[in-house]
Amino acid sequence: MLRKLVHELTTLPKYIYVFAAITAFGLSIGIYRMYAGLGVTTNLSKAFPWGIWISFDLATVALSGGAFTLAALVYVLHFESLHAAVRPTVLAGLLGYSSVLVILLFDLGRWDRFYNVFFHPNFSSALLEVSWCIAAYSSILFYELSPVLLENSRWRRFLPVIKKYTIPIVIAGVTLSTMHQSSLGTMFVIMSPRLHPLWYSMILPIFFLVSSLAAGISLVIAGATISYWLFGRSLKIKILAKLGWFLPWLLSFYLVLKFGELLIAGELDLLFSSGTYSVLFWAELIIGFFIPIGLFALKRVRTSRKASLFGALMIMAGVILNRFDVTWFGMNPVDGETYAPHWMEVAILVGVVAGIITVYSLVARYFPIYEETELYRPERPVNELSRLERAPASGD
Amino acid sequence: MAHTFHTPRYGFLIDASKCIDCRTCMVSCSVENNVSMETTRIWIKETGVTGTFPDLSRYTAPYHCMHCVDPSCVSACTVGALQRTEDGIVMYDNEICIGCRYCMYACPFDVPNYEWEEQLPLVVKCDMCFSRLEEGQQPACAQTCPTGAIQFGKYEDMRALAHQMINENPDKYVDHVYGEEENGGTATLYISPVPFEELGFPIAGTTSPAYSNRLVTEGTPLVAGAMLVGLSGAYLTIKNEKEEAEEERRLAEQEKVAVGEENSHAS
Repeated sequence: MLRKLVHELTTLPKYIYVFAAITAFGLSIGIYRMYAGLGVTTNLSKAFPWGIWISFDLATVALSGGAFTLAALVYVLHFESLHAAVRPTVLAGLLGYSSVLVILLFDLGRWDRFYNVFFHPNFSSALLEVSWCIAAYSSILFYELSPVLLENSRWRRFLPVIKKYTIPIVIAGVTLSTMHQSSLGTMFVIMSPRLHPLWYSMILPIFFLVSSLAAGISLVIAGATISYWLFGRSLKIKILAKLGWFLPWLLSFYLVLKFGELLIAGELDLLFSSGTYSVLFWAELIIGFFIPIGLFALKRVRTSRKASLFGALMIMAGVILNRFDVTWFGMNPVDGETYAPHWMEVAILVGVVAGIITVYSLVARYFPIYEETELYRPERPVNELSRLERAPASGD
Repeated sequence: MAHTFHTPRYGFLIDASKCIDCRTCMVSCSVENNVSMETTRIWIKETGVTGTFPDLSRYTAPYHCMHCVDPSCVSACTVGALQRTEDGIVMYDNEICIGCRYCMYACPFDVPNYEWEEQLPLVVKCDMCFSRLEEGQQPACAQTCPTGAIQFGKYEDMRALAHQMINENPDKYVDHVYGEEENGGTATLYISPVPFEELGFPIAGTTSPAYSNRLVTEGTPLVAGAMLVGLSGAYLTIKNEKEEAEEERRLAEQEKVAVGEENSHAS
């Protein structure tokens, strides 16, 4: 038993050890933060009580939106051809949400009584709704993933029971996601005095929901393309093209809402007159919205793995920038105070991201995550990630 | 959900023309409530030195929780640690706060302070010295202010006094009682010889952002219910259609087979 374990550990690819070491470092800084408090480990202040952790949380949740978008398409709207992408996306989503929960625990000043969220709910708080939904939805993602974990184990006799309730659970999951993706926007509805009007809006929840759909679809496309290169496993490009087809519509819908809202609020003059804010605003929209609309409107782009990966990464970058703008860059400073993260804040984040990569790699190594996907290079078994030199992209 | 916003029972009237920046209020608050001077419940806003020598002026005013009629912090607090009492005092329960700091961003007046240097920090904010009120005493800051810049009493009295002082000295004060309309009304009222922006007071609207927040959050259960029904409906409809199409295809195939068999019999 022990020898088997040692053997297993020695055959693990080296990069996993590197990421595991970074994770361990980040988490030990995290434990120091728990011990020492927020003052010495962060640059948070009265003027900026939230920092890079919250920005990371919002961006991660938006990208993890891939899991609910895909679940809605596959299970509710019966796009069965996308089924093969479900497992990797749900795993990515579960790890994304778990990392958010870990970071939130580091972020809470009174992490020792986080459970009060469940015992003392204030139902008019958007943050309460977000935390309940995220907690419930993480469990649902775990449920959705459990068949993969149980498939080759002695608990496989539970599989029929689990599968029986999949549809209602998925529907509950999609509802919870819709709610918290939008509620993350609602959180800022109360901050009208702080958030710059280029981002502040009563319909922030709708902006957040629509952009999370686009970011989620982009994550599926990018994930499928990256796994094509790394493991020779992917979805048919025809299916990815079908997903990409949604993007220009979603992104255009967002732009119409965004500019419509600014027009109605009479804030169009701010588009060019707000200095850095204007630059950030346009960067976000050009990188994440205008250019990808142009790209994904072309069939040539949708049916090319390289081009659609590029477009998907642009959308993800734009949405990430949007979340950073709303939570950090777009906040009006108070008394001239600004915020830049302490190195420990960044180290904890890097550690958590490295943790995601470590766990993802390990799960993909030992469990049938990519089993349903198309195998493009049969000589490269999927659970054998040990030789992870980048395979040349040889096209379809 | 119906929200009724009773007028506060108690109120402050703070007169910026009388404040001499002695910071007695800060010390007495710190002592009374056992909070560090680093993270106080009350601090001083100021105009800075203005004018040209020798006509220089500098105005200051003590600044603490406004005790809003419709407080954003109460609406935002995840765990309901912030509550507005019958008397209109916005109270903080340090036993249940989880330290999410949402109140700090939600407050339009940037009031909640935080014990950043503590291992397990709490929010710091004015509670009108409610324990002193129970004993029939004034809040520490009002009690100790040597110039009478901080007055405390029945809200209606304070409000009437504010208007009376402005009316009697129209040349001395700007014609604005800060807090009467701001953020939907607050129990702390200010009068000042200079516009409030110059003192560094936030320009607050007349409706609390808590109102917009409720508009959105209270619609949530409705949206969730509609989503559940809609998604289940979509799932069942599409499933049903697919099954019907499948059934039809099967019937058509059977027919084709039957016809084929008949033909082969006939030949």
